Amino acid sequence: MPEPTPGRLAGRTAIITGAARGLGRACATAFAAQGADLVLVDVAHDLPDVPYPLGSASQLAHTAKLCAEHGVAAYPVEADVRDPEAVRAAVALCLDRFGRIDVLVNNAGIAAPSGKPVHEISEAEWQLMLDVDLSGPWRMVGAVGAVMCRQRAGSIVNVASTAGLVGYRHFAGYVAAKHGLVGLTRAAALDYAPLKVRVNALCPGSVRDDPYVEGRMLAEIARSLEVPVAEHEETFVQAQPMNALIEPDSVAQAALWLASDESSQVTGSVITVDGGFTTR
Amino acid sequence: MSSRPQTTRQHSDPGRSCHSAAVAVAGDPGEVAARLAAALARRGLDAVRLWVDRVPASMAAARRAAELARPLPAGGPPVRAVLLRHDDGADLVLVVRRGPLTGRALGELAAEAAGIASPAGAEPTAGPGPGDRPEGAAPDPAGQSQPAGQSQPAGQAESPGTAAGETAGAGAADDGEHEGDTAWRGGNPRADRTGSYAFVVPAGTDRLALTGAVGAVLARFGGVRRVRVGTLLDEGPAVVPVAVDGTLRALAARPADPAPWPAAGRAPDAGPPEAVVGVLTGDSPADTYLPSLTPPWPLTLTLRGTAVTCDFRTGAWAAEVVAAVARYVTRVLEQLLADGDRALGDCDLFDDAERDRVAALGGATVDLPEPTGGIHDRVAGWARTTPDAPAVSYGDDRLTYAQLDARAGRIAAALRARGCGPGTRVGVCLERSVDLVAALLGVLRAGAAYVPIDPTYPAERIRYTVEDSRVTLLVGADGVEVDELLADGTDDAAGTGAAAVGPDDPAYVIYTSGSTGRPKGVQVPHRNVLALVAATQDDLGLGPADTWTMFHSSAFDFSVWEIWGCLLTGGHLVVVPHLVVRDPAEFHTLLRAERVTVLNQTPSAFAQLVDADRRSAHRLGLRLVVFGGEPLDAGMLTGWFDRYPERDCRLVNMFGITETTVHVTAQTMDRGLALAGTRSVGRPLPGWYVHVLDPAGRLLPPGAAGEIHVGGAGVADGYLHRDELTAQRFLPDPWRGGRMYRSGDRGRLLPDGRLEHLGRLDDQVKIRGYRIELDEIRQVLLDDPDVLAVAVTVDTGAEAADARLHAYVVLADGADPPADLRRRVARILPGYMVPATVTPLPALPLTANGKLDAARLPAPDARPLPAAGEPADTGAGTGRAERIRVVWERVLGAEVGPEDNFFDLGGNSLLALRLLRELRAQGLGEFTPRHLYVHPTVRALVGATGTER
Repeated sequence: MPEPTPGRLAGRTAIITGAARGLGRACATAFAAQGADLVLVDVAHDLPDVPYPLGSASQLAHTAKLCAEHGVAAYPVEADVRDPEAVRAAVALCLDRFGRIDVLVNNAGIAAPSGKPVHEISEAEWQLMLDVDLSGPWRMVGAVGAVMCRQRAGSIVNVASTAGLVGYRHFAGYVAAKHGLVGLTRAAALDYAPLKVRVNALCPGSVRDDPYVEGRMLAEIARSLEVPVAEHEETFVQAQPMNALIEPDSVAQAALWLASDESSQVTGSVITVDGGFTTR
Repeated sequence: MSSRPQTTRQHSDPGRSCHSAAVAVAGDPGEVAARLAAALARRGLDAVRLWVDRVPASMAAARRAAELARPLPAGGPPVRAVLLRHDDGADLVLVVRRGPLTGRALGELAAEAAGIASPAGAEPTAGPGPGDRPEGAAPDPAGQSQPAGQSQPAGQAESPGTAAGETAGAGAADDGEHEGDTAWRGGNPRADRTGSYAFVVPAGTDRLALTGAVGAVLARFGGVRRVRVGTLLDEGPAVVPVAVDGTLRALAARPADPAPWPAAGRAPDAGPPEAVVGVLTGDSPADTYLPSLTPPWPLTLTLRGTAVTCDFRTGAWAAEVVAAVARYVTRVLEQLLADGDRALGDCDLFDDAERDRVAALGGATVDLPEPTGGIHDRVAGWARTTPDAPAVSYGDDRLTYAQLDARAGRIAAALRARGCGPGTRVGVCLERSVDLVAALLGVLRAGAAYVPIDPTYPAERIRYTVEDSRVTLLVGADGVEVDELLADGTDDAAGTGAAAVGPDDPAYVIYTSGSTGRPKGVQVPHRNVLALVAATQDDLGLGPADTWTMFHSSAFDFSVWEIWGCLLTGGHLVVVPHLVVRDPAEFHTLLRAERVTVLNQTPSAFAQLVDADRRSAHRLGLRLVVFGGEPLDAGMLTGWFDRYPERDCRLVNMFGITETTVHVTAQTMDRGLALAGTRSVGRPLPGWYVHVLDPAGRLLPPGAAGEIHVGGAGVADGYLHRDELTAQRFLPDPWRGGRMYRSGDRGRLLPDGRLEHLGRLDDQVKIRGYRIELDEIRQVLLDDPDVLAVAVTVDTGAEAADARLHAYVVLADGADPPADLRRRVARILPGYMVPATVTPLPALPLTANGKLDAARLPAPDARPLPAAGEPADTGAGTGRAERIRVVWERVLGAEVGPEDNFFDLGGNSLLALRLLRELRAQGLGEFTPRHLYVHPTVRALVGATGTER
């Protein structure tokens, strides 16, 4: 008697950064539901120059618990993607425990400090934004790339943004970093293509702050733009061709597809999940 | 590590370098970690981190399985320890690189770390051998009769160099022998996933017995006497050769041979020399033991107690085939364990119920209506109900049913006056005409059986047929002409003079090529022909609105179907002139002009017609095409379907044999089957059935290839005047009663009851639809006093038109040149049986055991075979004649002189069309096949104007 169809990621291992909440949690639980064993990375504390609360250790542990309910192994790892040593240790843990790394989801990122024209951005603010949102993914790719090349298999999903494709007023640092991440995606895809390691970018539009994943990115963007938080969803919806915000699970399902063998010949792609926002 | 351009995860298989064990544990993680470190230290291994995960209880089993199968990374520590904690307790999973610990030693390590085996006083097992049975370990259901200290089944100790926890693999791999058929495994390479199936084997089964039983089943499926069965020892993989002629004892005496790992990532049907099936033993002091994290073979069986797990790749094995193998393995084990003297190959695969089911799979029992009277009575019926409907036509000669019946009645009266009646045979050797059909019907009406003889056959062959069949009278050739019969006969419209003919009286005797060296007559009664039409009439919708062609020679039994399929259903039979048969363009024109609806063709001929149809601007009105006479290359049909969709014209592929009355099975073709290149010939016709048997005459399971035996309504009476041969080929059917014909055709029954036809088991070949026994050609050559030894080969060529027969002869001293020999042969054999080349050799190459070594025969001697004494004439001139001659040489693949006959040089109807195409393409003339048949030499053809028709 054939066994029930295994999950789409059964037997695979994935590292997801920024996993404490938001899109990171959405991806983690979606992957766990498909059988992936997980290393869940988050900075798990606030940073002095980021003007809003980042993911917490408690949130990260909760994500891991949600994943483990699917019967998979899920290891929370507190690490800052700006710290090469911490990045190396997170990758080493995945290898020690699971013996392989099949998927990396580069999801960690910050949206602020933002909300000002280019000439008002300080040197430190610019450096911080690029270090987290662009150099962080680069460090992660660098740490898993060699492993995946040895395996002759692997899928890297860089969570960029529609800000990687179009400009947003008063978000120069964020837009520059996400455009850079799209560029990194394309270049890395070519580097690794012969070795069957795939690199793709996901560009979500305005994602609803879903309480289940404790999302708050959209609220923080609204705050940077001085949009009243109480009516920010309505404000953003008005810009959406589908008259709806993006659901976190829509993004997670796209990430799942890019992570799985179903997209085995997709690399260097930049896939929007934006309800048609950038197509106008 | 080499790069493999495959999908992910296939490029290496670290899972095979590890084994793993799981055991239930109590106590907190700290205690487990301490016991584990101590147990490792006792074995000289470094302590490792104990990973501790919490798992929902409902997921615990799945997680344990996942952890057991998770390989170690290359270059890392040799042990991974994971503690899975859940509400019902905890499991310790150890994954260890192969080498430091044997399978048994790993189980002991796990038990010690779990605290359920005391290390005190016991030396850890370092290598193969029995260990203490830990308290609380899984009981060994197979080991009831064994001492408690041994969980290893007794039989394993007999196999040198193996230990518990290894794999024995059963692989139908090549050991310098034929691997046998593998298509029966039924895998789908386009959907290659892992599958699993569990079953229980009889108590007392050990790895050796399981290996032997698996080998026996594989050998039966594959049609071979010997298979190789893979095994996994502590040292690495190995194979066990399993000879089905031997017993389990003989198997135990034969050690396994070390072997390389099966190639990683080549799951779907990895062929020889890799094993395809593996048998592992998973018995261990631990609760669960995986001898290899990933199943090494496309089908791997793991024995634990009496439980067997089959892990398989769906790319190589269909799930239902694995289930069937498991069922048969169980049944074979019951017999082997009960009787130690039993040879593996002597075991039955089926119980009674399954045997009945398999025997019934090849066709349901159908009670066809009991016929009354004979074929001619049915035709007379149409003469009464539709007297003015067209019955037979040949060009402008047309007979209505009334006229046909009247003419047949006169012929019958004249035949009876000449002593022809029930129990006699009448030879009919007539050119194609309406009178040919009238004569055949007249013979039946007289109560005799007709013996059709093709007038284009050599005089020698005609004389042989007449003599062998002991006809009372020969119509045509040198016998009585139809006109005489018509003049002598009296009108018999009422049929009052008709002899009393019953359905069991013989209707015809058709001669087929015989492996004994001489054609033999197959005698078929009226009942069979009536049954054939009854079986097909409704399904094919045959009726008075149909127009059929009689395309085939009356001496070819396809014509039995054409003539009587048409005339028994009130249709109009169009007799196709000989030269039109050979010219697809003319035939196409005829099909249109006569508005033919039902066409019967060999696939070779149909391919030519498709080509002609493509060149024609006109559409045909066909509604049904029946293929027969030779295997169909289904892929050729897609172009036809583009022009004539399935809803407009139904294509039916039929498998059949003269001895079973033309047809046996029918497969309606469609685009999907064509694209798949199906070899299915469909299910048996109602009333017909098939068995597929092995050489010992045992029913084979569905999927296994064997010899097709045909029973039911079509089985002929036998061979005329050849009782011994009849007894050899027409056998009693032990399952369904009655007789069955042993066809010599290879085939397999699919699980849905359709038959796949896989060609011939013997030397019989089909060239352009003609059934040819190479032995018959060999015999005719051997009968020549100049010939000492003969080999005949078939060169199938890239296309049907390229198929050629080649003869190799050892000539006596002073023998005539091969050309003379070939000419003599051509006087005896029909043209399609005359070898294209005759190559003299000093001796035939033989194999060590004295059989012809066909591989060492030289290329055939393609030099021309000029007539004796004829000078080497190159005087065909230059210019157009020379260019035409060069085209002949290229098409025939032989040197051609200006007086050489095209057909003597191996030319045939298909090559003729190719030649004419070439000549047309080079601007050397617009010739038709008719030109070539009338002017068959270069010199004559050059003289013929190239535009006349």
